[in-house]
Amino acid sequence: MLIQLVLTFVLLVAFLTTWKRARQRAIGFGEALMWSVVWVSADGVIWRPAFTTKIAHIFGVGRGVDFIVYTAVVVLLLLVFQLHLAHERLQRTLTKLVQRDALHEFEQEMKTKK
Amino acid sequence: MKVIAVMPAFQEAKRIAEAVRGVRPRVDELVVVDDGSSDQTAKEARAAGAFVIRHRVNRGQGAALRTGTQAALNRKADIVVHIDADGQHDPQDIAALLQPIKGQRADVVFGSRFLGIQSDGMPLVRRVVLRGGRVFNAYALGIPKRVTDAQTGSRALNRRAATRLLERTTQDGRAHCSEMLKVLTDPALHWCEVPIHVRYTADTLAKGNQTWHAAEIVWKLFLGKVS
Repeated sequence: MLIQLVLTFVLLVAFLTTWKRARQRAIGFGEALMWSVVWVSADGVIWRPAFTTKIAHIFGVGRGVDFIVYTAVVVLLLLVFQLHLAHERLQRTLTKLVQRDALHEFEQEMKTKK
Repeated sequence: MKVIAVMPAFQEAKRIAEAVRGVRPRVDELVVVDDGSSDQTAKEARAAGAFVIRHRVNRGQGAALRTGTQAALNRKADIVVHIDADGQHDPQDIAALLQPIKGQRADVVFGSRFLGIQSDGMPLVRRVVLRGGRVFNAYALGIPKRVTDAQTGSRALNRRAATRLLERTTQDGRAHCSEMLKVLTDPALHWCEVPIHVRYTADTLAKGNQTWHAAEIVWKLFLGKVS
């Protein structure tokens, strides 16, 4: 019971933070709605764990908790991969800026030498 | 024909002057790209007779080569030569790299360590990994099997090839050699290889690609494709 209360409190904080960030326009309305669905669903699973077992059976997994762990691993791997891609794009942008700056400085130096 | 050599350098203060002095008499201009070094690389290179471009932040050899190639094209180079700053490449090989382009027989010339001239001090493991690299290049990247050196850093390009290189390459780090091979062996370009002499020392081996970097190169090439 205690763990359910603690997790619900954590999810409530996440829910409120999501809408606070949405009001600050840091994230869009659609994104806030999507995360809200995630938090509410997670809370539903915490209070009605038997529900996950039903879903697990549909996918051929014995226990609900196993189903959650498998799903979490896949989702986390996808998120890590997305982060790698975003990091790669950021690195390229940084390279372009560094190159532009270096070439500009070089051209200026050549002009002053003339 | 105006020949400009591009030499990417990172923390090479100890060796850059000798490398510059070896290359400088064999080309019309030499551009050293100091890739964010915190030592005296830029100062030493300038004092030895090179033009110096400075990256404020270290971006990798591939990025430095692209910056240098762009600068060379801006300075009206007809041929751009890529050569390492650590003294591994023998400057005497530059003439052999230039010949096919000057004779209009090729757009790109790669220096190869596997065409008959024995490299000094190349470890056996490196030799084996480079052989494996050839297979990977051929089957995963579609690079022609007749390319004998999977990771050559020694190449000469005419303006057409250099422009293509700038338009189609994005790899900043260790994967740039494979990416450049892929882009420059495209059927739209005429390319060939010439034998070169490479000299490995304890210093250059410690700084250069390690065997386990092969996995990093594969990963970066994959990310480059999907991002």
